[in-house]
Amino acid sequence: MTMAADSSTPVIRLRGLEKRFGIGDAENIAINGINLTIDKGEFVAIMGPSGCGKTTLLNIIGLLDRSIEGEYELDGQSVATISKRKQARIRSKQIGFVFQNFNLIPRLNVIENVALPLIYKGITRTKRLKIASDILRNFHLNEREYYMPHQLSGGQTQRVAIARALVNDPSIILADEPTGNLDSRASHIIMEELSDLHKRGNTIIMVTHNPRLTTYASRVITMLDGQIDTDTGSFKFKGQSITLQPIRRHKRSSRQLKRNKK
Amino acid sequence: MIRFLFLNHIQNAYQSMKGSRVRSALTMLGVTIGVASITVILSLSAGASKIITDQISSLRGNIAVIRPGVATNPITNLTQARLGRDYSTSTLTESDITYISHTPHIQYVAPLMVLSGTIKADSTAPSDSIVVATTPSLDNISDFKMREGQFLDKNVEQNAVVVGTQLSINVFGNESSIGRTLTIHGKEFTVIGVLKRMNDPINYNSIDFDNAAIISFAAGKKMNKNVTQIQQIDVKADSTANLTSAIGAIKTALLASHNGENDFSVLTGDQISQPTSQLFYMIAGVTTAIAAISLIVGGIGIMNIMLVTVAERTREIGIRKALGASNSDISWQFLIESLAISVGGGIFGYIFGYVVAFGITRFLTFDPIINWQIAVVALIISIFMGTLFGLYPSIRAARKDPIESLYQYN
Repeated sequence: MTMAADSSTPVIRLRGLEKRFGIGDAENIAINGINLTIDKGEFVAIMGPSGCGKTTLLNIIGLLDRSIEGEYELDGQSVATISKRKQARIRSKQIGFVFQNFNLIPRLNVIENVALPLIYKGITRTKRLKIASDILRNFHLNEREYYMPHQLSGGQTQRVAIARALVNDPSIILADEPTGNLDSRASHIIMEELSDLHKRGNTIIMVTHNPRLTTYASRVITMLDGQIDTDTGSFKFKGQSITLQPIRRHKRSSRQLKRNKK
Repeated sequence: MIRFLFLNHIQNAYQSMKGSRVRSALTMLGVTIGVASITVILSLSAGASKIITDQISSLRGNIAVIRPGVATNPITNLTQARLGRDYSTSTLTESDITYISHTPHIQYVAPLMVLSGTIKADSTAPSDSIVVATTPSLDNISDFKMREGQFLDKNVEQNAVVVGTQLSINVFGNESSIGRTLTIHGKEFTVIGVLKRMNDPINYNSIDFDNAAIISFAAGKKMNKNVTQIQQIDVKADSTANLTSAIGAIKTALLASHNGENDFSVLTGDQISQPTSQLFYMIAGVTTAIAAISLIVGGIGIMNIMLVTVAERTREIGIRKALGASNSDISWQFLIESLAISVGGGIFGYIFGYVVAFGITRFLTFDPIINWQIAVVALIISIFMGTLFGLYPSIRAARKDPIESLYQYN
């Protein structure tokens, strides 16, 4: 955490990252040599066709996928040297996950789902519920606290999922298609929330299919076949990275995306 | 930190069990039956030995019992039939009685010779009636209370008999039978006394005196074709303090007369109170078998259910790991859930066990004992079961790959 405060050290630094699935003939290279540096406070949008390795990259950054080749430094420390237990602690304290398919635990109600990450931080139940309740109020979900996940609409479910990712006050937020199948209005609310977090100095890495959402990002990376295709790079204004409309390359990739969808 | 997690795991286990009530209840049932059987065995055996312990302490604790054969350990007693002792010829002889009665500090010696033979008068006594030949000293050792008449003494005729209340009712139809005659093994005996009802078939003499006909040792020997067959010798010392030295002397004397063969055992205090009732052995044997089987089956049930639960919650495991749970957090979550099932089952089993034990003792002459040791044993067994059979599922849960778990579709 002390290192993260040092703005000169990148939060995430990947060198020659590779990830393979399977062995022998069935081997499949998901990530094929990625070099990437992400600084503190960046809002990175990762785009690319299905199967290009976006989600895998996000999982690796989020310390869920350990069997990798190449180098990954988190806050200046090589991940390979961090013990499993320590990695779990980092996930608990520094990283917030927003999943594509929400991934709420169906047998727990909304407030318990939101309070879940706090369990592993060792916070007492009453305190947990209070923190969770506070954050749900920010998301205008305080009336839904005791609903079960299946009783919520898609937009509400995703807001709960985001609330859960934020409840630990993580410095890095990893979002895998956070607006998934939501309509544009619901997507807008969620993106505003992420944008707000970004302004408060959090690092956000978001995978998306929707080119419109990249307008919220300060940096747009497109991936193709396990490699970085284009990267707008980080734009900084007065020391803070600013949101920027991506350039032409992005449009090409969005067309490519549409082609792929057909 | 650990404590909070622990509490949380318990809450979690509670919710999970509430979520699948029938499944959890059925799984618990296996443990319940096992622990109930163990509770029955322990409470009844404690109850049975307490009776004998009480008898001995009421006799001021200065008695010893000599039995043929070497005392087996109580656990073998529980699981094995005592065939050897029931059918082999006794190693105790008449000369042993003489040796013992000459031992210093020994006040009274009474041999017990249990004979077979039909007891008959107006009607035939049921087969559980016992004929026992002994000497008048038995009265001094066991301190019999007479309902009427007298116990055997030196002056009575050889055909005198003292009967138990129940035997009197069984053969004569009423409790007062002084002066009446009955036949044992075809020989006539006259009743000179009726014992007061004792209602304790379990005692250190292993004889239910309510159902016994007591004849003199000489008459018994004659009935047995002049062969003595001594099942037990009761010994009473002049004081508790002298009992130990007296026992030592008896052992030395008997060992010498038996040519150094250690084929007898001298029991005192708690050693005597090892329950000897056949009924108790039967109950203990059956319940031990049920307990062992049901504990194993119950344990397999727990493991099975936990494996199903782990499989069902694969995605949840992935989510929890992504949100910061370490492997041991996950492992504990499932281990505590399995412990909740087994300990829950154990508590029900403990209660159910006492219900059964009190039910059984409605037909017996003693009550089950309630003490903390039995509760602790029940608890330890439950915890052991939960841990043993929950360990594998919980390790399996902890080892699940977070990514595979997260993207599993159910």
